[in-house]
Amino acid sequence: MASNLGGASISQTDDFETFTPTTDVEPLKRAWRNEKAAPEILPYEASLVGRIKEQIQAMEDSIEEYSRSGIDPLIVSLYQMDLDRIQFLLRSYIRSRLQKIEKYMLYILKSDELFRRLSKEEITFTDRCRHDMKKHFDESVLSKLPNNYQDVLKQSITSEEDDMVPEPPLDTFVVCKSKEYLEHIQLEDEEERASSRIEEPFEMEANVLHIIRYRPIKSLVESGRIDLL
Amino acid sequence: MYGRKACQLVTELASGEKGQLTHFNSDLFEQVISECQQHHLELQSLIRKVQEEGLDLQTTKNEDHFGALIHHLALVRNKRCLMAYVHNRAETIRSLIWKLLGSMIPPEIQEKLSNSEEEYFKKHSARLKEYMSKLELDLTVDMVPPKDPYIQVRVLDDIGEGIVLSDDKTANFALHSIHFLKRTDAEQYISRGLMEELRG
Amino acid sequence: MTSYYDIDDILAEEELVSVVFQKAVNGVGIDPSSETDSVESGSKVELPFWLAQELHLRQVAVMALPSCFNQRTRLEIQADAAFVDLRSRCQFFYEFGCKIAPLVGDRTIGSWLLSTFKSRYKEVLTKAHSAVFAASSKYLALLSKEETKMYEAAQSSMTAFKKWRMGGPRFQRASFLSRKRKSTE
Repeated sequence: MASNLGGASISQTDDFETFTPTTDVEPLKRAWRNEKAAPEILPYEASLVGRIKEQIQAMEDSIEEYSRSGIDPLIVSLYQMDLDRIQFLLRSYIRSRLQKIEKYMLYILKSDELFRRLSKEEITFTDRCRHDMKKHFDESVLSKLPNNYQDVLKQSITSEEDDMVPEPPLDTFVVCKSKEYLEHIQLEDEEERASSRIEEPFEMEANVLHIIRYRPIKSLVESGRIDLL
Repeated sequence: MYGRKACQLVTELASGEKGQLTHFNSDLFEQVISECQQHHLELQSLIRKVQEEGLDLQTTKNEDHFGALIHHLALVRNKRCLMAYVHNRAETIRSLIWKLLGSMIPPEIQEKLSNSEEEYFKKHSARLKEYMSKLELDLTVDMVPPKDPYIQVRVLDDIGEGIVLSDDKTANFALHSIHFLKRTDAEQYISRGLMEELRG
Repeated sequence: MTSYYDIDDILAEEELVSVVFQKAVNGVGIDPSSETDSVESGSKVELPFWLAQELHLRQVAVMALPSCFNQRTRLEIQADAAFVDLRSRCQFFYEFGCKIAPLVGDRTIGSWLLSTFKSRYKEVLTKAHSAVFAASSKYLALLSKEETKMYEAAQSSMTAFKKWRMGGPRFQRASFLSRKRKSTE
C-alpha cells in the first residue's frame, strides 16, 4: 500500500520491515532479562550491543527523514515507540551490569571467571571505581586505624584470606525455564547430597517455569540453555 | 561493653528510611576510632607483658594473652562497623547518583555527606559520565519502561524560560504551566520534584 | 566473608549470650561484676555474640543456650506459633538461631527453627496481602526482623500490583528529596 503525501511516495509495508529488524530485538530482550535476574554478572554480549547500536542509529535517521518529509505524525510516533523500546532495553541491560559491578567490584577483580565477562570499557570502569572506593575508605576509616588493621581486603594481618570481600549471592532463587528438555541437573553440591534425601538428579521439561537456586544452573544459563525471567 | 558505640552507628543505618541518608555522624564515628586506638594500646601493653616475662609469644596462652585477644577482637569488630557504615552509605550515595540523573548534588543531600563522601559522589558521577560518553549512550534516562513517548506534565516550580529540549525546540516552564513533553526530556525534572506527570 | 557489610548480620551478632569463662583473662573491662579489669575463671558473664563466639571456639569460655531458644519458648510456639511474640525474645530470631545452632551442641535447633518459620510465614503473607491496617501494627510487633522484611516485601509487591492495575503516574519524584520545598529567604 503506497501513500502519496506532499509529493513523496513511500511504500509503507516495505519500509516497516526494513525499519524494524526483528532479528536482534529478541536476543536483546533475552540478554536483558537474564542480566536483570542473575545475581552475578553474565558474559558481555559485545556483538549484539554493536549491532543494536547500529540499528538504533539507522532508526533515528529514518525517523528524522520521515518527519521531515511529512509522513503522518501518528505513523512516525509508532516508529518512535519501537525505537524507544529498543533503547530502553539496551540502556537497562548496560545499567544492570554497571550496578552489579558497583556492588561487587572487589570480588569481580579477584575472580578470573567474572573478570573475563567484562567489556573493555567495563574493565576501565571497574578499575577506576575500585580506585575511588579505596581512596574513600582509606580517607574515612582505614588510615585512622592502627597499623595491621588498615587493609581493605583483610580484617587484620592475622587474617588468612581476604575476609572482607562481599560476593554475589549465588543461592538466590530465580524463575527460569529451559528451551528444551534437560536432565541430570544436580541441584545440590557434594556436602548437601550426602545429607539430603533427594537422590535423583533434577530434570526440566521445555518451557515449564521453575523456581530454583541460581548456583546449580549457573553454567546452563551461561551456555544459553536456560533462560531467566 | 566493647563494640557498643560501633554498633550504634550500624543501628543508625538500619533505622533510617530506606534509600535516605542521615547526617554523617562524625562525633560518634570519631569516638569509635579513638576506642580502636585505645584497644590497640592495651593490646600492645599486654603483649609486652608476656614478652617481659620472658615467655614465648607464639605458644603462651595466659591471662595476658587472652586479654590481648579480646582487645584484638573488639578492634576487628569496631573496624567492621566503621567499614559497614561507610560502605552502606556509599551504596546509598551511588543509588542517589543514578536517581539524580547526572545533575549537581542538591544542597539537602550535600549537608548530610562527609567531605570524603562528597568527593566520592563527584568522582563516581564522573566515572559514570566517562563510561556513558565512551558508549555514546545516555544511561540516565529511560529508568522506567516506555509506554508512550510523550507525557503530559505540570510544572511545580519555576524552572525558567528558553529551556532547550532534545529536539532543539525551546520551552518556557513557568509555574503551573502544563506541557506535552518527550518522556526522556521530562524524566529529570520529575525526579527532582520540579514537575509532575499528569494522567488524564 | 560474604556478609561482612551486611547490616542485619552485624546487628544479629550484637545479641547477648551468657558465657562461663574457662580461663582467666587480664586487662579487659568486660565483666561488670568484677572490681578489677580482669575476669576470673568460672565467672558467668553476658557477652555480645561476636565476642562470645570467638571465645567459645578458642575454648576460653563456654556459651549457654540463650533463653529465647529454651524449652518454654518451644512449648509456646508449639501451642500457637503464628502469634508468639518473637521480636521481644530476639529481634533476629532466625539468623541468631542459625549462628548459635552449631556452637551449643543442640542438634534440634535447626529443624525447630524451620518448623517455626513454616508455621508463621503463611500468616505473615496473608496479613500482608489483605488491606486491614488496624490489625497490622499490633501483629507487626510480634514479628522478627526477617519476618518483617518478608511482610514489607509482600506488601510492596501487592501495592505495585494494584497500582499497575489501576494506572496512575509512573514517574515519581525521587523519594530522598524532602516533602516540602522550603523557600529560601
